[in-house]
Amino acid sequence: MAGGRGDGGGRGRRFGGDDGSDRRFGGRSGPLRGMPAGGRSGGGRGGGMKGGSRVVVQPHKHDGVFITKAKEDALCTRNMCPGESVYGEKRVSVQKEDRTKVEYRVWNPFRSKLAAAVLGGVDNIWIAPGTRVLYLGAASGTTVSHVSDIVGPEGLVYAVEFSHRSGRDLVNMAKKRTNVIPIIEDARHPARYRMLVGMVDVIFSDVAQPDQARILGLNASYFLKCGGHFVISIKANCIDCTQPAEAVFASEVEKLKAEQFKPSEQVTLEPFERDHACVVGGYRMPKKLGI
Amino acid sequence: MSSLRNAISRRAHKERAQPEARKRFGLLEKHKDYVVRAKAFHRKEEIIGKLKEKAAFRNPDEFYFKMINSKTVGGVHRPKPEANKYTEEELLLLKNKDIGYIHQSIRSEKKKIEKLSSTLHELDTKRPNKHVYFAEDREEAKEIQSRIGEGSNTPSFDNIPSRIKKKTASSYRELEERKQRLQKLEKLYGELALQKELKKPGRKRKLREDEMVNPTSQPVYKWRAQRKR
Repeated sequence: MAGGRGDGGGRGRRFGGDDGSDRRFGGRSGPLRGMPAGGRSGGGRGGGMKGGSRVVVQPHKHDGVFITKAKEDALCTRNMCPGESVYGEKRVSVQKEDRTKVEYRVWNPFRSKLAAAVLGGVDNIWIAPGTRVLYLGAASGTTVSHVSDIVGPEGLVYAVEFSHRSGRDLVNMAKKRTNVIPIIEDARHPARYRMLVGMVDVIFSDVAQPDQARILGLNASYFLKCGGHFVISIKANCIDCTQPAEAVFASEVEKLKAEQFKPSEQVTLEPFERDHACVVGGYRMPKKLGI
Repeated sequence: MSSLRNAISRRAHKERAQPEARKRFGLLEKHKDYVVRAKAFHRKEEIIGKLKEKAAFRNPDEFYFKMINSKTVGGVHRPKPEANKYTEEELLLLKNKDIGYIHQSIRSEKKKIEKLSSTLHELDTKRPNKHVYFAEDREEAKEIQSRIGEGSNTPSFDNIPSRIKKKTASSYRELEERKQRLQKLEKLYGELALQKELKKPGRKRKLREDEMVNPTSQPVYKWRAQRKR
């Protein structure tokens, strides 16, 4: 370690050169120190560890979700394809002990209802590494990209979007992520894409339609396994703008119960979205044994 | 030799002062004082000479617009007053430019706020949102209630180095400052926009406090309905 620091002075104007030239001096036994901070192009910010790490990343309560603390104080997910931003979000890369780099992408709760629900303190999102997710209402794929980060290479995300225009972005995003299957089709007619989608563990629905409970129920009957889970984001204005938000949420929960769903919790997405709620629950849950 | 002479102390030289009888003339003038005074005098003399010469060679037909546009008031040059330098339309245009600039800064500020708040999620603060749990029966409700009590929402960040804490704090401070700046800019923009609207034609009148539908501290104007066609 001492040698590594000592020859820093000897390098003189070579400081900040590329890694190749540094390695000639061989004395850089401590990988965490003396890393040139700048001088590299693009997203390498926060990667260097000059005198200790500049970023702290810790796992969140939910699997696959992380929290980064530095200049930002943000929710993030581990980037599946490092070096790529999907919607211009910030990336944070952290160097581990063995000099391998891990990149995280900041998850913006103002753009993603799922992130807002996570920050709202929902107990379970059921989306975890290795799960298969059916995502209804994928739009341009901003949240889908984070879901694909969470489920990782073992998992799978079927992203359904009706609009061709935002579907284009979705497809472009899916080109780089092997675990995303984009489906440009109407979520009201799951029969049209039943050949593409297998059984899934979780359905996430963000369709913002008055009959979204029905859409969710229909898709669940086709693809969701018994004892699977759903996460639905409800926009009160889209269902009924004449009633107060609370009443709309309650009526939606009733509709979900009628579709064999068993809601377990509901969070409002308050500072990020107005009059939105996220309901989480199970599907065809096994009956509790009466004793 | 001279150094030896210097070794013996000599009587100190005393400068001549103004005699008592001529005290009223002030300090006694020395040669260098005279030089300064004389040079100043000659300079003025020269200027006066030149001016006299110019006056002697003056062309009575000579004309400059400055002769009309400016005057001497009590021997001091005064440019013509510029009260109506800009027309009404030009003034409106200038005001519009001001408003445009403010509008632009509002937009840029908003953009910066959006950028900052996308990475600052206030993870440690309590949220204003509502969390509802659904239970089938009393037992399940009890179980849920006990579960809520124990688990905290976010993982604890106890062992963060202070420099990282400092960075986070400064980011939050910047966000707060920008928000305040945006508020000020928006207020200013509102005032300017109101002034602009008031400049436009049409009969209008300021509403009294009791006439407003939803009273505010800001002035409220009402335009007389006008038949356009």
